Amino acid sequence: MSIAIRELRRRFGQFLPVLVAMTLLVVLLVVLGAFLDGLSRSQTGVLRAQGDRVLVLSDDADLAPSRSRLPDGTVEALAQVDGVEEVGRLSTVATTASVDGDVQDVVLVGYDLATDTLPEPPTSGEAVVDAKLADLVDVEEGDTLAVGPDARELTVTTFVGDVSAGSPTIWVAADDWLELADTVNPTERATTQAAVVSGDATPDELAGTGDGLAAATVDDVIAADDVVTQQSSTFQGIIGVTFVVTLLVVALFFVLLTIERVRLYAVLKAIGARTRDLVAGLAAQAVAVAALAVVLGIGLGIGLTLLVPPDLPLVIVPARLAVLAVATVVVAVLGALGTLRRILRIDPADAIG
Amino acid sequence: MPALTIDKARKEFPSGEQTIVAVDDVDLSVDDGEFLVLEGPSGSGKTTLLTLAGALATPTSGSIRLGDVELGDLEGNERSAVRRDRIGFVFQSVNLIPFLSATENLLAVRQLGGGRVDRDARDRAEQLLEELGLGGRGDNVPDELSGGQRQRVAIGRALMNDPDLLLVDEPTSALDSELGRQVVELLRDEVDRRGVAAIMVTHDERVTDLGDRIVKMVDGALVES
Ligand SMILES: Nc1ncnc2c1ncn2[C@@H]1O[C@H](COP(=O)(O)OP(=O)(O)OP(=O)(O)O)[C@@H](O)[C@H]1O
Ligand SMILES: [Mg+2]
Repeated sequence: MSIAIRELRRRFGQFLPVLVAMTLLVVLLVVLGAFLDGLSRSQTGVLRAQGDRVLVLSDDADLAPSRSRLPDGTVEALAQVDGVEEVGRLSTVATTASVDGDVQDVVLVGYDLATDTLPEPPTSGEAVVDAKLADLVDVEEGDTLAVGPDARELTVTTFVGDVSAGSPTIWVAADDWLELADTVNPTERATTQAAVVSGDATPDELAGTGDGLAAATVDDVIAADDVVTQQSSTFQGIIGVTFVVTLLVVALFFVLLTIERVRLYAVLKAIGARTRDLVAGLAAQAVAVAALAVVLGIGLGIGLTLLVPPDLPLVIVPARLAVLAVATVVVAVLGALGTLRRILRIDPADAIG
Repeated sequence: MPALTIDKARKEFPSGEQTIVAVDDVDLSVDDGEFLVLEGPSGSGKTTLLTLAGALATPTSGSIRLGDVELGDLEGNERSAVRRDRIGFVFQSVNLIPFLSATENLLAVRQLGGGRVDRDARDRAEQLLEELGLGGRGDNVPDELSGGQRQRVAIGRALMNDPDLLLVDEPTSALDSELGRQVVELLRDEVDRRGVAAIMVTHDERVTDLGDRIVKMVDGALVES
């Protein structure tokens, strides 16, 4: 066991302040990351429910499905393309739904194709409903929702999770959607917005099917979403600043520690330690403290997100935690290396006399 | 060949407008197994001379050879390696690593520079502590030891890597005279047993008789006595 790790274990109290500070910063990072992922997930549920299919839109829509209007015959034409397995319609419209007089904003979705998340489209007069709606109002399977300005009645057949589009979604068959959308917006005739296509055909091949078409994967359509990208760049900015603060906290701590240890380092140099050995020792301590802070911080952070009311969209994504853990350790090492110059300057001759 | 050869070594420190000549063209050599006592008034340059001999500082001019190695020719990491492998220091103010036990303080000099602590190293540390009358205190940290015991651990640390040259700066200053003499006697025994060359700086006239040769330093220069 190295001298540095022995010091860490035997003089743990000395490292407690930086451990506490780093743990709190990791908690903050976990919560910020959970907000970032939760917000983007709560916006993009309709798209993500389409799995790895390709979306075909009108090219004047800039990859925003709600602005897209597919020309007549597009779905039929797409079905003829080589490599295409299935083609279905996908359209959304924002409206309201009321349950026992309790009115909620919802997004009404029309679809043709079942996916890993979604069952087959329900029959006319029935709807598959976002589980998030059940978090907000008292609604169960078999209950009736009154949707749109005309209060069209839809019976809830089943609930599905993680399909929100800002508001909770209500899923009906694509033909029913056309009819319901006309009641939502009587001045404009409802048109199918997008086609979802499975199979081997590339987006370029699909877009070439007819004039005025654009095609992209679900991920690309999500990446083009202004709301999502603005939210995530805001959060990413805050997360970045938090990492900078972490770097400064660690650097400050290790500078103070080094000042306190000038004499010890002079002695170590005098008896043969190289600067490299001393810096490696500090880096080992930084890694150990950061690793402990990551474990504690992630534990506490996850605990905290469980305490938050369910209408706040917090989601813990393991991949984000992994990135956060690695980044925290790297930042801690960089912070500790900030003392390099100071350690280089320590004169071993000061140890004597 | 002498263990240490100092040839016209000079060390100047800038001090405002003037320069202080702490070591003034000193010639000195110490043979293997020789125990040299260096005495002289405060500020005469004794500690500075030790830092030059121990590769802790470089002379302004002149040459210092350890065996046939010219210290001035070494770069940073080589100097560290020489300090670790060939020189043992006992500092005036002990300077043990406070969070390590006595045994670990001895083993630390093995670990520095990427060395390994093997069975041999443990045996040697145990044997040294035994010789220094510290058998059974190996697991105590410096705070749990008396001043004399700490000074003996420091001697053990200096001897741990089997140095060619032992440099000792006022080892008795923190000890009462009886204990001081005991510690220096131990040092003398180790020098005899291991045939290592040693320079001990001391003000303490009650221990100077333990040296093979006494050299006096005045105003940076040596006066053989
Ligand atoms: N790093 C330094 N910078 C400037 N001057 C120094 C430095 N180290 C020593 N000196 C000066 O060099 C001279 C010799 O100092 P040194 O410490 O070698 O004396 P010494 O003989 O060991 O004295 P003491 O018996 O009090 O320990 C003194 O005048 C001291 O002020
Ligand atoms: Mg001195």
